Amino acid sequence: MSDRIFGGIGLLLALIYAWQATIIQESFLSDAVGPKTFPLIIACILALASVYFLLKPDPEPTWPSYGRLAEIFFAALVMLAYAELLPVLGFLIATALASGYLTWRLGTPPLQSVVVGVGTSVGIYIVFKLILGLSLASGILGF
Amino acid sequence: METLSNLADGFAVALTFQNIALALAGCFLGTIMGALPGLGPSNGVAILIPLAFTLGLGATPALILLTSVYYGAMYGGRISSILLNIPGDEPAMMTCLDGYPMAQQGRAGEALALSGVASFVGAFFATWGLVLLAPQLVKVALLFGPAEYFALFTLAFATLGGISATNQAKSAFAAALGLGLAMIGVDTQTGVPRFTFGEVHLYDGIDFLVAIVGLFALSEVFIFLEHRRSAAEEAAKPKIEIGRITPSWKMLRYCTPTMLRTTVLGFIAGVLPGAGASLGSFISYSMEKKLVDPEGKTFGKGDPRGVAAPEAGNNAAAGGALVPMLALGVPGSGTTAVLLAVLLSLNITPGPLLFTQNPDVVWGLIAALFIGNFMLLAMNIPMVGLFTRVLMVPPRILMPVVAMISFVGIYGISGSSFDLMVMVGFGIMGWVLRKMDVPLVPVILGTLLGNEMEVNMRRAVTIADGDYSVLIGSPLTIVLWSVAIIGFILPIFVGGVVKRKMRTARDKEASQTD
Amino acid sequence: MTIIAIRRGLAAAALIACAPLAALAQDFTPDKPECIAPANPGGGWDFTCRQVGKSLQDLGLIPSTMQVVNLSGGGGGVAFAEVVNKRNDNNDLIVAASSATSTRLAQNAFPGNTMNQVRWLASVGADYGVIAVAKDSPVNTLPELLGMMKNDPTSIAIGGGSAVGGWDHLKVLIAAQEAGITDVRGVKYIAFAGGGEAVTQLLAGSLQAFTGDLSEARGFVESGDIKVLAVLAPERLGGEFAGMPTAREQGIDAIGANWRGFYAPGGMSDAAYDYWVGAIGALYASDEWKQTMETNGLAPLDLQGAEFEAFVKDSVDSISALSKEIGIIQ
Repeated sequence: MSDRIFGGIGLLLALIYAWQATIIQESFLSDAVGPKTFPLIIACILALASVYFLLKPDPEPTWPSYGRLAEIFFAALVMLAYAELLPVLGFLIATALASGYLTWRLGTPPLQSVVVGVGTSVGIYIVFKLILGLSLASGILGF
Repeated sequence: METLSNLADGFAVALTFQNIALALAGCFLGTIMGALPGLGPSNGVAILIPLAFTLGLGATPALILLTSVYYGAMYGGRISSILLNIPGDEPAMMTCLDGYPMAQQGRAGEALALSGVASFVGAFFATWGLVLLAPQLVKVALLFGPAEYFALFTLAFATLGGISATNQAKSAFAAALGLGLAMIGVDTQTGVPRFTFGEVHLYDGIDFLVAIVGLFALSEVFIFLEHRRSAAEEAAKPKIEIGRITPSWKMLRYCTPTMLRTTVLGFIAGVLPGAGASLGSFISYSMEKKLVDPEGKTFGKGDPRGVAAPEAGNNAAAGGALVPMLALGVPGSGTTAVLLAVLLSLNITPGPLLFTQNPDVVWGLIAALFIGNFMLLAMNIPMVGLFTRVLMVPPRILMPVVAMISFVGIYGISGSSFDLMVMVGFGIMGWVLRKMDVPLVPVILGTLLGNEMEVNMRRAVTIADGDYSVLIGSPLTIVLWSVAIIGFILPIFVGGVVKRKMRTARDKEASQTD
Repeated sequence: MTIIAIRRGLAAAALIACAPLAALAQDFTPDKPECIAPANPGGGWDFTCRQVGKSLQDLGLIPSTMQVVNLSGGGGGVAFAEVVNKRNDNNDLIVAASSATSTRLAQNAFPGNTMNQVRWLASVGADYGVIAVAKDSPVNTLPELLGMMKNDPTSIAIGGGSAVGGWDHLKVLIAAQEAGITDVRGVKYIAFAGGGEAVTQLLAGSLQAFTGDLSEARGFVESGDIKVLAVLAPERLGGEFAGMPTAREQGIDAIGANWRGFYAPGGMSDAAYDYWVGAIGALYASDEWKQTMETNGLAPLDLQGAEFEAFVKDSVDSISALSKEIGIIQ
C-alpha cells in the first residue's frame, strides 16, 4: 500500500512539475531547444516510474509508531528553528540548544545532554571559527 | 628523459623543510575537512586560501599547501562514508555503498586501510599520468564537444541500473527527482528563472552539498531517532568490532586488478573538464560492478572491491582534473576552479604556455603531489586505529555532533539560513526515500550532473540549428550511446526475462528431483 | 554606440596622489572591516574581496584584517537584498560588484532592488572585452566576421562565459548592431559556465567564435591557439597587448569593459563613505595594486565616489536601453 500511495504522490508531483514547466516564462532570446523541453522529459520519467509503483508495489516497509513519527517531526522542527534563530541567537547559544535537544531525544539523560550540547557547541566553535576562520553567525549578543 | 630531469628539478624545488612542513599540514587539515560532512575539497581549499596569503607564501609553497589540502580531502571523504554511512563530500558517495556494510560486519579497520591504499594507487598513477601525458591528454579533452558530453552523461545515468539491484523503477524515479531538482534556478542558456516561485534564494539553484548533507547526514539522524534505545539498552548491546586495522596481503592482491582498472577509468573521467571526480568514482564503481559482479551478489553488501574501486577512481580523477586546469586553464571540478583562482592571484596564468613559462611552478607542484601522496599514505594507515575510535562514541552523542557539523559546514560557506532550511527538507525527504527503499545515489547524481547534461544537449542542438540528430552525429557519440544501451539499458529488460526463465527452469528441476 | 564611457581625468589622478594622506586624516576608522562576496569562495567577487582586503591590510589602510563573508545566491541578488534590508546603516561593510551586478540591476534581475539603494564606492580596474576566433579560422577581421553573421546568422556560433542576455552576449550584440545587423536576436550565441570552457570548445571546433574578457583569452593568445579579431577598448592597450586591433579602428564603434569595484550600504555615514572611498583610492594608486592589475590582465579604470556612482548609473541606463531594444526585458 505504501508504494501505491508513494506512486500516487509521485504522479501528482510529475503533473505539477510538468505544469510548472509549461508556465516558464520564455524570453525573446531563446535557443533552439528552449528552457521547457528538458524539464518536460524529466516529468515524463517521473510519471512513468510512479505508474510502475502503482501497478507493481514492493512489499510494505515497516513504519515506526506514531510516537516515533512525532519524535522525528519535532526533531525536524527543532532543526528548522535552529536555522531560523541562528542569526538571532548567535552560533554558540543556538547550537548548544539544538544539539542538547537532539542528544536528549536520542536517549541521553537530561543533565548529561546539557553538558554534551554545550561541549559540542564550544568544540565546533573552536575548530571552525578559531582554527579554520569560517564566519559563523554572531547574533545580537556578539558571539 | 627531459620530463624526468624536469621532475628532478621539481623535487629540488619542493624538498625544502618549509615545503614539507606545509605539505604535512595541508594533508592533515585536508583529511579532516574531507571527513567532515559539508566541507568538501573545494570549500576546504577555499577556506585555507586566506591562510596561505596571511603566511605570505610564495607561489610554489602556497600551491603545495593547497594541493595537499585537495588531495587530503579526497582521502578524507571516505572516512565518514565508511564509519557513518555519510559521505564527507560528493566523490566519496560511492564508498558508502560497500564501505558501510563492511564496517557493520566489523571490518571498519580493513575498509579504511584498504581505501587508503586504493586512494594512494589512484592518486599515484594519476600523477604519473599528469607527468607523462598531460600535453597529449589535452587532445582528448578537445574530442569532447557538447554532443559527446551529453552522451557521456547519459551513459552515467544508464549505469545507475547496475548499482541498486532491486527495483529499477525506483532508481529511475530517484534520478528523475535529482534531475528535476537540478533544473531549479535561473536557466543559464536563456536567463529565465525556472521553478523558483519568485524566491531569490533559489535563483542560483540548489547547491548539491546542501542536498548531499541533508539526504545522507540528517536522514541518518532521523533513522537513529526512529530506532533509538535507552542508555541502558545501548550498554547491553554488544560492542561494534573494529577488526584488524591493516588489510591482509591477500585482500590487497585480490583488489589490485580492480584498483588498476578504475585508476585508468577515473583518470580519463577527470581529464574531461565537464565530468570531474564525482563522475570518476561513480563510473569506476558501476563499471567494476558490471565487470566482476554482474549478478549483484556481493557488491553493495561489503565487497572490498566495492571500496577499492570508487576510491582509486576518485583520487585518479582528482589528478586527472589537474590536466585541463594546468594545460587549458579550464577547471574540471569545483576544486580545480578554486585552485585556478589561486593560481591567477599568484600571478600565474594557467594555459597552454604554463609548462614552458613557469616550469618551476608546474614541476614543483607535481613533485609536491608525489610527496603529499606518500605522506597521506604514511599518515592514513597508522591513523586508521584512531579513526575507528569514532565508532566507540555512542550514536546518541555522535549523531547530534554530526548534524551540527553539517549545519556549520553549510552555513559557514553560504551564510544563508535558507540553505539550512532546504537541508532539513532534504533530510526529511531522505528519510522517506530510505523508508521506501529508493536509492539516494541517483538523486545526488541527478542534482550534480543535471544542469551540465541539459546545457550540453541544448548547446549541441542550438549549434546544429535545431537538428536533434547531432546528438548521435559523431563516431564518439555513437560509441558512448552504444555502450549505454547495449551494456546497461537492454540488460535491465532482457535480464529480467532471462532470470525468470532460469528460475522456472530451476524450479522445474527442483520439482523433478523431489 | 559607446555603452561605457570611461573617464580618466587628470583631476582624478591628482586626487589619488593625496588620497593616502586624506585617508589618515579621516575621523572614521572601521572596527571590524568586512567585505561581502556575493558568491561562493573561488569566484571573481570572492577574489576581489580577498585581494583588496589583503592589499588594504598590507598597505596599512585598514586597522585590522578584512573579514570576507560569502553570501551567495541569486547572482548577487541575495547579498544586495541583505545589505538593503538588514544592514543598511553598517559603516564597516563593503560589497564586491562588477559589470554583472550592473547588468542584472539594469535588467531588473534583483526583484524590487535598484542601484540607488546602495552607495557606490570605487572601481579597482576593468577587463576589456575581446572577440576572437581559432588560429586556423579563415576570418581575419571583425567586420568580416560580422558580415558573415549578417549574411547567414546560422553560419557562426559564438560562445561566451555568461548566460544569454549577460555581459558576454551583450558585447557581441552591441558590435552586431554597429555592423548594421538589424535583428540581433538571430545571432547564434551559446552560453558556457565560464570563458575557459568556451575557449576550449572554440579549439575543439564546436564554435566559430568566442566572446569574453581579455583575461580569459590571454593565455591562448600568447600560445597562438586563438587570434583576437578585436578588443573592445577605446584605444589600443599597452604592453604585450598593443598588437591587438580595437573594434573602433575597424569601423565598429563598440566598447565593452567588465569593471570591478565595490558598493556600500545606502545608510552609510558620510564620514565612513569618505573613508572607504579614500582607502580604495589609495590602494588603486599603490604600486602593489598596479602589479596585481597587470598580472590579472586588468586595465585601468580609476573612478571613485561621485564619479564612480555616475559611471555605474550610465552603464545601468545604457544596458537597460539596449536590453529593451533587443527584447530581453519589456
